[in-house]
Amino acid sequence: MKVDTFQSEADIPRRFGWIGPFLEGWSIFKQSLLGKIGLTLLIIFAVMALCSFIPPLINPMYNPMTGVDPEITHSTGPSWRHWLGTDFMGRDIFSQLLAGARVAFMVGVSAAVMSIFLGTSIGMTAGYMGSFVDTLLMRLADMIMVMPTLLVVLILSSVFGQLNIWTIVVIIALFRWPGVSRIIRGQTLSLKQRSFVEAAKVAGASHLGIIIRHIMPNVLPLAFLFMTFRVTSAIIIEAALAFLGFGDPGTVSWGMMLQWVWKTGHMFQAPYWLLPPGICISLITLSFYMLGRAMDEVLDPRLRKEDQGA
Amino acid sequence: MALLEVENLSIGYNTKGGYLKAVEGVSFALEEGQSLGFVGESGCGKTTIGMALMGLLPSNGSITQGRILFEGEDLLEISEKKMRQIRWGKIAMIFQAAMNALNPVQRVVDQIAEAIMTHSPAVGKRGAIEQVKDLFQIVGIPQERMRDYPHQYSGGMKQRAIIAMALACRPKLIIADEPTTALDVIVQDQILEETKNLQREFNIGMIFISHDISIVADVSHDIGIMYAGQLVEYGAREEVFESPVHPYTKALLSSYPTITGDRSLLQPIPGETPNLIYPPDGCRFCDRCPGAKPGCGEESPVWVDVSPGHKTLCYHC
Amino acid sequence: MELRKYIARRLVQIIVIFFVILTVLFLLFRLAPGDPVSRMVDPDMTPEDSEYLIAQLGLDQPIWVQYIIYIKNFFVGQFGYSFHYGEPVVKIIWDRLPNTILLFTTAIILSALVGVFLGKIASWHKGKKTDAGMTIGALVTHTLFLPWLALIMIWVFGFKLGWFPINGMVSEEVWLDPDSGFVAKALDVIHHMILPLATLFLIHFGAYLLIMRSSMLETLKEDYILTARAKGLEEKVIRDHHAAPNAALPVVTSVGLSLAFSINGGALTETVFTWPGIGRELVFSVSHNDYPLAQASFLLIAIVVLISNLVVDVLYAYLDPRIRY
Repeated sequence: MKVDTFQSEADIPRRFGWIGPFLEGWSIFKQSLLGKIGLTLLIIFAVMALCSFIPPLINPMYNPMTGVDPEITHSTGPSWRHWLGTDFMGRDIFSQLLAGARVAFMVGVSAAVMSIFLGTSIGMTAGYMGSFVDTLLMRLADMIMVMPTLLVVLILSSVFGQLNIWTIVVIIALFRWPGVSRIIRGQTLSLKQRSFVEAAKVAGASHLGIIIRHIMPNVLPLAFLFMTFRVTSAIIIEAALAFLGFGDPGTVSWGMMLQWVWKTGHMFQAPYWLLPPGICISLITLSFYMLGRAMDEVLDPRLRKEDQGA
Repeated sequence: MALLEVENLSIGYNTKGGYLKAVEGVSFALEEGQSLGFVGESGCGKTTIGMALMGLLPSNGSITQGRILFEGEDLLEISEKKMRQIRWGKIAMIFQAAMNALNPVQRVVDQIAEAIMTHSPAVGKRGAIEQVKDLFQIVGIPQERMRDYPHQYSGGMKQRAIIAMALACRPKLIIADEPTTALDVIVQDQILEETKNLQREFNIGMIFISHDISIVADVSHDIGIMYAGQLVEYGAREEVFESPVHPYTKALLSSYPTITGDRSLLQPIPGETPNLIYPPDGCRFCDRCPGAKPGCGEESPVWVDVSPGHKTLCYHC
Repeated sequence: MELRKYIARRLVQIIVIFFVILTVLFLLFRLAPGDPVSRMVDPDMTPEDSEYLIAQLGLDQPIWVQYIIYIKNFFVGQFGYSFHYGEPVVKIIWDRLPNTILLFTTAIILSALVGVFLGKIASWHKGKKTDAGMTIGALVTHTLFLPWLALIMIWVFGFKLGWFPINGMVSEEVWLDPDSGFVAKALDVIHHMILPLATLFLIHFGAYLLIMRSSMLETLKEDYILTARAKGLEEKVIRDHHAAPNAALPVVTSVGLSLAFSINGGALTETVFTWPGIGRELVFSVSHNDYPLAQASFLLIAIVVLISNLVVDVLYAYLDPRIRY
């Protein structure tokens, strides 16, 4: 429809501050059912991660990695002593599950922050500089984008041997930036044409100044949105890697738990062991995903409109 | 019997901000083969009227009162199935070419043939394509471009294709919504000229909708000036142009460089259009009216006959 | 015709990308810490055999000569011998390739078709129960952890219910029986394929459904949909013939963009169901330090991803005349 009265609000000049748009976004976010469910689930997982320090303090046998119940020598079902039962060595599955939440957050958030940082800076550089820098960076992005990250990490671990958890995180980050950088680049390109950037240029602002003051505040919400999706992909890759037996052997992650239940042949006998880690990985992925979609709704009207204009 | 009679039509939209009264109490009539032009700023409700005539208001829009009599039948009373047959079969529309009015992934010929086959299935695919050939001849697009996709056309060609599509089912009435906006002036002129000729040739009733009063002036027998959802002046073209009565019409005429107008007198209209969710009491043009009198802001104006067939919504004119 | 030029350009890009991958892989295997010879030549080989292989792979030559030999070997299909199988690597991967293609392409095509179809239906019923149910279902299945889903499938349908075989691609009793004809063999493969296929399908269709749904809702706001309505077309015709073909374009793009992700899932599925494909071979070779096989499997997977990307591009161009002409 072309009844213009409807759209007049969208023409309000862009904001430069940080707090106003955040509050405005939050009020939209609160209306989203998906966002609320996602956030609630995430808070539960965060509480789990925080609580993971408690069981080993109660009794050393609750240590997720090294704690063994002296009275148990094989996998047992849930009991008062072990809420979710024990694995084949007599280790407490519930403590492992809590520790797994901690690892998932650690891996997911740190890989996401790194890859978003990379993607945003590369995308802004490519978009702002243009010409051959742009071409070069975007070709590189195309190339990395078609690589299946999990298999890349596999081949690297075949050459370098067992990888520790931080190496895995860094590799994931190194291979997961191209998607973000493409979007940020597009956004930067359209911002570059805007009058307020032109004005800043005329007023003698430096390139770095323009990027930090004018481009960054406008691309960061988008980068933030992508971060939620990157968190999930990092968690999944780490879990899959651990599941295949290439995880960090010193870390109890949910993927690792699944690897144990699978490789020790307990998957047909021990549903109490098979179900919890898989449900947790799936749910944490789902909750970040829902959070992302809700944020998408918050950012959507503004961003969509600009995309059409460019 | 008039081809189209609209009586006291009111339309509103449910929006986030509240209920928006887009069109209020609009009445007009159109004889067969005649043309009528609606002029007004964007947001004045002229497009909404066009959509209401087609029965294509968006889902948040609704007609709150009034009647739309087309060939004596109230379009608001008939079934959706019947309405579908009238759409394009009897009432067609010319969309703005700058709009994405043609489907990008279908050949132009197929899109026009589809309209023909929908309304006269007996024609068949081959017959429909033959008819499209004739239509292309009429609007002046080379036949070898028939099988092209819309993006391969220039703006002018797209507009001609849309006109060809509007003519496809020999409608009684064509609504042209900003038919030439976004075309350059020369093409604009050609298209308007051709539209006028086609209208005469096929004896089609036409409603032109535009924000540009000079376009409407060129092609219409009657003119309706719209402001903030209301018709404020209505009459024969000569009457309205030569002796405008409503202050808004006067302001509009002096804000556009017409063929006869003096450029040095070109004046923008000060002020803004009122909010239609909470429309002001009294005359809606009151705030911007140079000749506003004390009572204007409180009492709603009524229609005043200036001369036979020429009327205005203003007390003091 | 423009289409040919477009495909040619994409082909050149893909070849360049492939050469970069080839080179990076070469450098990785030669320059990583440790003895490159031990990564190329089976330590259990007889001295004569291993000397022959070292000469053939040029491992005694300077690195740039090695590189040229490496490229040449790639083109003649010489990848060395698998440590584990003791056979030429190229023979093993040629053996596995059709199995991967069978499972993978069936899964992607099936899930894209079903996703597009269901996404269209969800968008028709926007805001109603059908829509909410489909959206939530898609979100949940799409975010399930694939290896876990595979284990659950095996547990429920293979173990508890016993409906499907839980590993491999064929049953020996069918394939070794001289009396079983083509149909019996094909049915046997399909029987084995259903669980891995269902796993891949469940993970993928949701993403396509969600994209199709939102793309459809966007498309329905387009002006040409208004034109179609004004033409007096029925809603069903408008949705199926005017909105859906346009709305499906982003789905095609997303199939292309998510291919890498899908290949990860393919490898995991093959591994859990012991489906004899390249993905499983890669996982297996990495865990058994079978370097020549790992390298070749990875290269082949890269080729599969790149070619699938090309196929998606061509499909997109076929569906969108704005690229074709």
